[in-house]
Amino acid sequence: MKNNPFNAQNTNPATWWLVGICLAVLASLTTSALLLLFIAVGSMLIVLLCRDQSSWSKSIKFYLLLAIAVVLIRVIFRIIFNLETAPSNPILVLPSLEISLGFGSSLRLFGAISATSLMAAITDGLRLAAIILSMGMANSLANPRKLLRQTPGALYEIATAISIAINLAPQLISSLNRVRRARKLRGESKGLRALPGLVIPVLEDTIDQSMALAASMAARGFGRRSEASSLRIGATRFTGLTATTLLALGATLLLISPQNQALDLILLLSGLSASVIYIRLSALGASRTRFVKAKWRYPDFLLIGVSVSLLILGFSGVIL
Amino acid sequence: MKLLISRLSIAVAGLASVLMFTWPLFITSKIASEAALAQAVFIVLMPLVLILVLVEFSSGDIGAKQLALLGVLIALNAVIRMLGAGTAGIETAFFLVILGAFVFGSGFGFILGASSIFVSALLTGGIGPWLPFQMMGVGLVGLGAGLIPKFTRSWQQKTSLVVYAVISSFVYGSLMTMWNWPFLAGTGTQLSYVAGDPIISNLTRFFQYELITGGFFWDFGRALTTSVLILLTSQSLLATLNRAASKAGVRRG
Amino acid sequence: MLSLRDLTFSFLKPDGTPATESPTLNRVNLDIDQGKFILVCGPTGSGKSTLLKVINGLAPSFTGGAISGEVIIDGKNLTGRAPHEFASLVGFVNQQPEGSFVADRVLDEIVYGAEQLGVDEATISKNLAEITAILDIEDLLQRNLDSLSGGQQQRVAIAAALIAGQKILLLDEPTSALDQQGAGKVLAVLKKLTQEHGVTVLLAEHRISRVISAVDELLVVNGDGSVSLGPVEDQFKDARFAPPIIELGLKLGWQPLEVTAENANKRWQEKPKTFTPINPNPAAEKLLTLDQLSVKFADLLALDETNLEFFGNQITAVMGDNGSGKTTLCWAIQGLGQKTTGRVSMQEGETADLAKASRLDLIAMVPQRAADLLFLNSLAEEFSESDSFSQQPQGTTANLFQKLAGRIDSSMHPRDLSAGQQLALVLSIQLAKSAKVLLLDEPTRGLDYAAKRALAKQLKQLIEPNRSIILASHDVEFVALVADRVILLKNGKVVSDQIVGKALNYSSPLASQLAQISQTEGLIRLDQVSA
Repeated sequence: MKNNPFNAQNTNPATWWLVGICLAVLASLTTSALLLLFIAVGSMLIVLLCRDQSSWSKSIKFYLLLAIAVVLIRVIFRIIFNLETAPSNPILVLPSLEISLGFGSSLRLFGAISATSLMAAITDGLRLAAIILSMGMANSLANPRKLLRQTPGALYEIATAISIAINLAPQLISSLNRVRRARKLRGESKGLRALPGLVIPVLEDTIDQSMALAASMAARGFGRRSEASSLRIGATRFTGLTATTLLALGATLLLISPQNQALDLILLLSGLSASVIYIRLSALGASRTRFVKAKWRYPDFLLIGVSVSLLILGFSGVIL
Repeated sequence: MKLLISRLSIAVAGLASVLMFTWPLFITSKIASEAALAQAVFIVLMPLVLILVLVEFSSGDIGAKQLALLGVLIALNAVIRMLGAGTAGIETAFFLVILGAFVFGSGFGFILGASSIFVSALLTGGIGPWLPFQMMGVGLVGLGAGLIPKFTRSWQQKTSLVVYAVISSFVYGSLMTMWNWPFLAGTGTQLSYVAGDPIISNLTRFFQYELITGGFFWDFGRALTTSVLILLTSQSLLATLNRAASKAGVRRG
Repeated sequence: MLSLRDLTFSFLKPDGTPATESPTLNRVNLDIDQGKFILVCGPTGSGKSTLLKVINGLAPSFTGGAISGEVIIDGKNLTGRAPHEFASLVGFVNQQPEGSFVADRVLDEIVYGAEQLGVDEATISKNLAEITAILDIEDLLQRNLDSLSGGQQQRVAIAAALIAGQKILLLDEPTSALDQQGAGKVLAVLKKLTQEHGVTVLLAEHRISRVISAVDELLVVNGDGSVSLGPVEDQFKDARFAPPIIELGLKLGWQPLEVTAENANKRWQEKPKTFTPINPNPAAEKLLTLDQLSVKFADLLALDETNLEFFGNQITAVMGDNGSGKTTLCWAIQGLGQKTTGRVSMQEGETADLAKASRLDLIAMVPQRAADLLFLNSLAEEFSESDSFSQQPQGTTANLFQKLAGRIDSSMHPRDLSAGQQLALVLSIQLAKSAKVLLLDEPTRGLDYAAKRALAKQLKQLIEPNRSIILASHDVEFVALVADRVILLKNGKVVSDQIVGKALNYSSPLASQLAQISQTEGLIRLDQVSA
């Protein structure tokens, strides 16, 4: 599998997230059960063909179970709480039951359900299953540590905090176990009461450790940045406000006035551009180099190209 | 002035994100494909808004010590969350976010809340379309906790923290249920949202949905565990975190 | 290369007044040439690490405090600047490498500093090839940091500190967590860096004996604010932090002092001194019996059908390599949460039949990291929690602590105590009910010579006819100081059980440093030698 150019080892992890997001958006736009099934099965197949030996590659099982559960929940929910009172040609008739929750209108459980209604529930469930599986695909194939190394400069600090946390978590688990064992020597408390005696020593240790880590980072040059002019800081902040405002307006318009799709598209796209400019501007103050760069090769471009074309076909209504 | 602009954009982003949680209450179009479009757009838009808020809070003034402290607290919270996971109604991820944010401030709290959800999802494989929404939700819980006033009397402090814990647990729970409502109930059931209906009747159906799906039970469990954990640990944890704050030279402004 | 001019540094209290009566560093003047290998030593708390931190800018910008005078590095006056301005000139390596890693992969960790400093790619490539070759870690670049041994991690940390072409390297106790072999390799690399590549190395270390023969000069931080730099032999006027070999020389008035075991042995053989043999404490009643005690982890037999008896009035040391079963033996005797087969019995009966609480009363244990047991905000709170938990009159724990550690302000936070004081606190908490068996797992971890001596004294105070003290340790010098009897474990089996004078004898693999130097039957520690 190593010589497969599309193997997770040989591709950029960001590729899989882009592919996953494209498929998820496509799934949420379509009403065709066939296309949804195609996306769901396709995502599973891609994982089976391209995954490597890493631990997260096994998480696809979890996503598959979740997807199946979601379809079932959706269908069962529809059977119990169906809105139809007396469908003309019911496919399933169950005795119905009236309950009241003490507020709102009383609910009629079970009863008759039509084929259209049941089919709609299955399609809706499938849609969510397809979204979950396409995200699961990205999660199973994209190495999160590799991905963190290529976060944009503006998120550098947070990405650093997160990678520190990921490195630290296994150590913390073993410290918690160590302290839990040691606590028994002093006579243990039970349940939630035991938590302070468990968490405080670990927290104290890790805080001391974090100060050592911070010293090691600072002594290696962390924090060096060129002085930003007050004007540029102001401009950055203003771009940020513009971006959030445009996006908020776009979201509102989408809900209350769906007929203005063109205006809405303009709002959202300009909000997106402002966000990109803002993220770029925020990163300008730092003067770091990146020695280990993420590589983009032809399989990455091919995968992204295919997914984006699918999405465009979807938006233009060709395959929905 | 710059601070004002910055706070304003965070407020706008916060409003936008609340809208993206609660859209079934506001949508007017009855056409299914348009609701699906809104749903799809929000799945992409939420991560973007989240990134904007994170950049707004982090760019520029995070020092090495704050960063390292953030790293360990994120890891600890992610690990504690995993310890609690699996037992119905137990939610252990909130109390450290609330106490951390209370000591270190709103910005720290937002980053701590959002990132620890992210890290625990990375560690356990719970990444999905819901993740940015959870991150935003817990981030907002942290943001709010940074605004809890400081009292000199210990009982007043504990009471204010517990009250906040209860309120934020229920608000977070309702927002997340509101998010999965259109996904799990869809349209066309007696408990579904109806586009264009008055907000109050949609809300009624939403509460029926919450009650029937057991959402309230989870929220209650979350509020209870968080409050109990705060009562049990706040005294020693706040002392520890305050010591860390003076070591690291970070404290809420 | 590096000069300090009239440098004064003091820590400050939150209100801005000095925290100590005299400054930690007081009008220090120092010139260090390129390519020197310098050992920085001094008693704990004397300001060793403060001196290092002044040279890389972490003090005062990281630690707080007030600085005056000048820090001149490579001709640049950097006094009071932020650490990142020092970063391109001075590299820094911390005590615990795994606690200071930012990345997860070796390559990313090494280049981190150069990336932060904005070094261009071509230079990074060149430096990377060079430094990994010197440190012999070229094959590790793609590995994960947590898959490396301690010694390899420390070499990666050194490479990371020098990646931007830094010419000064500061190391704060870099070998304290390493075994003999790992430490040897790190020291060899440091020697090579100074001799062949002109790097100036300042190494702070309290395990002086393993380092002392490798360095060019010794920089002593005296603790009164002054420092002195000179050849190793001239520097030890003060024995508070000296290793046994120097202590011996001081005691016998050798001029000059010897720093290698070989020379010291010759010197001793020329003029051997008389000494008094060790009289171990006589064993009192039998308090604890282990009968066929075994512990199995998965497929590893950690403790193999051990039969042992322990007596009152005695301190027994359990020794052996890592993984020989020392820690397992302690936990098996304590018996909490561990699956064991065989029997542990006391006069009160088999411990397996006793209630958990009464077992805790009879057998007290101090785990490897004593501080794991501390979680309250002040000494006073820990004392009263301990008294009420063990149902003793208020003040029991506090009195015991005072007996062991002296008078200490009880409003202090337990975490602000020194490692030795924390150990004393946990000892007093665990002994509040005056247990018959006291177990200590590696109690000397992280203690310097002075603190070890203090601990030895404390343990001797705790000897009673009705108490058996058992300690697991690999610290030969400490065992020589306190133990009456030594049990050696190997792969979970007892291979020898002797009195201390025999066990640490010159011919034994566990020979103490003095035994090695003197090559004399029955001589293992300094207080046996008459001056």
